[in-house]
Amino acid sequence: MSTEAIAVEKPKRNYNVLFGLTLLALLVLLWILLSVTTTSFASANNIANLLRQGSMIAIMAVGQTFVIITGGIDLSVGAVVGFATVVVAMMINAGFPIWLAILVTLLVGVAIGMFHGFGIVKMGLPPFIITLATLTSLRGIGLLMTNGNSININSDTFTAFSRNSFIGIPNLFWMVILVGIPAYIFLHHSRWGRYLFSVGSNAEASRLSGVNVQRTIYMAYTLSGLCAAFVGVLLAARIGIGNPTQAEGWELQAIASSVIGGTSLFGAVGSVHGPLLGAFILATINNGANLLNVNSFWQRIITGALIIIIVYFDGLRRRGK
Amino acid sequence: MISTAQELHPAPVLEQGRTILELRGLEKRYPGTHALKPVDLAFKSGEIHAIVGENGAGKSTLIKLLTGVMPRTSGEIVWEGQPAALATPHEAMALGINAVHQEVVLCRHLTVAANMFLGEENSRFGILQQRAMVRQAQTIIDDLGFDLPAHVTLGDLTIGQQQLIAAARATVRGTKFLIFDEPTAYLTRKEADQLFTLIRRLKGEGVTIIYISHRMEEVFELADRVSVLRDGTLVGTRNIAETNDAELVKMMINRSIEQVYHKEHFTPGAAIIEARNLSGKGFENVSMTVRAGEIVGLYGLIGAGRSEFVTTLYGRHRKSAGQILWEGKEVQVNSEHDAIKLGMALAPESRRDQGLCLNLPVGFNLNLPIYKRISNNLLISSTQEKTQADRQIADLRIKTPTRGALASSLSGGNQQKIVIGKWLAHGAKLFIFDEPTVGVDVGTKAEIYRLFGALLSKGAGIILISSYLPEVYELADTLHVFRRGKLVATHGFHAASHEDILTQALAEKQEKLGGQI
Repeated sequence: MSTEAIAVEKPKRNYNVLFGLTLLALLVLLWILLSVTTTSFASANNIANLLRQGSMIAIMAVGQTFVIITGGIDLSVGAVVGFATVVVAMMINAGFPIWLAILVTLLVGVAIGMFHGFGIVKMGLPPFIITLATLTSLRGIGLLMTNGNSININSDTFTAFSRNSFIGIPNLFWMVILVGIPAYIFLHHSRWGRYLFSVGSNAEASRLSGVNVQRTIYMAYTLSGLCAAFVGVLLAARIGIGNPTQAEGWELQAIASSVIGGTSLFGAVGSVHGPLLGAFILATINNGANLLNVNSFWQRIITGALIIIIVYFDGLRRRGK
Repeated sequence: MISTAQELHPAPVLEQGRTILELRGLEKRYPGTHALKPVDLAFKSGEIHAIVGENGAGKSTLIKLLTGVMPRTSGEIVWEGQPAALATPHEAMALGINAVHQEVVLCRHLTVAANMFLGEENSRFGILQQRAMVRQAQTIIDDLGFDLPAHVTLGDLTIGQQQLIAAARATVRGTKFLIFDEPTAYLTRKEADQLFTLIRRLKGEGVTIIYISHRMEEVFELADRVSVLRDGTLVGTRNIAETNDAELVKMMINRSIEQVYHKEHFTPGAAIIEARNLSGKGFENVSMTVRAGEIVGLYGLIGAGRSEFVTTLYGRHRKSAGQILWEGKEVQVNSEHDAIKLGMALAPESRRDQGLCLNLPVGFNLNLPIYKRISNNLLISSTQEKTQADRQIADLRIKTPTRGALASSLSGGNQQKIVIGKWLAHGAKLFIFDEPTVGVDVGTKAEIYRLFGALLSKGAGIILISSYLPEVYELADTLHVFRRGKLVATHGFHAASHEDILTQALAEKQEKLGGQI
């Protein structure tokens, strides 16, 4: 029985691992290619820079993935990041302790996520619509709060964090690990993670099986909002200003990372490691294109092509199964 | 340029009684299943040929092969003396083979007229001649004797009316060979009569009609010949005048009713749930008790209030009046969650829409109700997850390569076993089965019924909802009949005849017959 059970589990796990390994191989391949073709890629400075670039999108992509697994979408995350930089900057400049400023900013992210949950569950709005509405209005609220100006953060302790490293690895990348490990456990080893999948697959069947569908949806958007607010704090520390127009278009990068990482926009398919790899693949392409002096317009085209290619092959394999 | 209804209609030129389509050793294999074993059969023009068989007997496979939806594995299809590839639906339509499906496959958001001419729109210089199309469609509809407007949105019609439109649509395309797949499943009697008139008229025009139905009375009312499929094999073809109900059933299931309905009687124990004068959306003033060790059957037509009643018990809908007592104490069931906590389990009517997470693994589906139990506060025990799933797969004999296989890859019967099986580990006391054997073959049916016995022996109670009378009749210790939201009759095991129960379930429906659609 037990040997049979082990044999039985293999095909599925193989597939997930295989896809993850393919992404990892792609990432390593890109790194090797760039190390050979450019002199500056392999420098400690550039690698640290690359990790910083990728980290923030990676964290957003994790939150985004939770939402996409439930069959939804969160278009607001870029705006949440921008808004969060404003909140944290204003609070620090107003003299609040840094920990409190960060805590309040994270709670703002939670509140925005709860609002999305409310709109979807109670008002019956499609996720696309409610998060699109937040996307535009949050930028507006941020502009009102700042009068359209950037706020220079006057705390060196705060801004130093994002520049510093711990045992040779940039602090920002440590944050990916800080988010990634609990997220992995949550999604793949807790029942709430299972419920995200079940709601994304069939909300009605989940409800009839005793899953609290509404709470699951609240949870997904709240986590996405929280991740985005956290990225906002990191971004504010990195650039030293609060500005509501920051992180323009990041929501699309987060979605792209998630999709490249194997998440299905139809819901019920996704992982944590996939979007993380996806985010760093995108960051590497951008970084490499800069180093190779490729016109930055090409970066966008390459990203688009990559999304099509990866999702197409992933779909082929899933269908072939 | 402007075509008239006359031109669109197939003129009665087809010669009667000539072989129009012939199957020679037609065969279909799927990975792991032999869906259709070599079939030889000839259809004549101007005949109504019924095909009957249990679910999974190969009827849908046959339709899919004839309409070019799927390629055949081997064999020949000969159309008017010429071998036909029938590789695409387009090719089938070009030959004049059309199908009207049980579920309406039309665009609900478009008008009736737009649907009638979908794919063959009437346009001049690229501009749709909308008014002309509505006029033509109306002419066709009136001509067929359907009292329906052509300019309204299809979705505004009842399912039955949409079905009539689908049938009308099939007649305007030079159809010579028309397949009806359980067309009356959602029709009222009057709508069904209109459809039968249409079918007989097409027959008169020389069109070959394939009529697939579970309803024996319709087969005997309409068909000239009937073919029986069982487990992918053509068991035989009979002239309708030379056969009878009993022979066809025997051919279909190849076993006696007693072998399928394995009924164990237990002495009922204490009351598990009691509804007192319960009212809610779709039903009113229903009282009943379910005791440990008994099956309570709810019989009635679709829309009679049976499903609404049980979903209210289950907390899906709010009750508007009355009480629910659980083990003698009044309870408020405000959500499915409350119901499950009390110890209820519901296997819903539609496994695709309500029962399963199709694109997730079998094991996931089986464990969904018990994830709370097999996890501590934070983590799921992966060993328990595996052993629980494997135990259910073994106990229920679910045919799946692994617990990791997607639920969508299983056959209907095995999917249904998951819908039921996921509650076994949960340890519920009251099981509600809403149409548990729809789309399930006889063998699986028998297994599901045996499962009922196992549940009862453990002291559970069962509410069994079915539109299939023999099922509730042979299994229910107490049988409640619903009609139009009311509980109209209650019988003990085999205490009333089929005819009485049918009359009780239908009475008002028949009174209404003279009315409008």
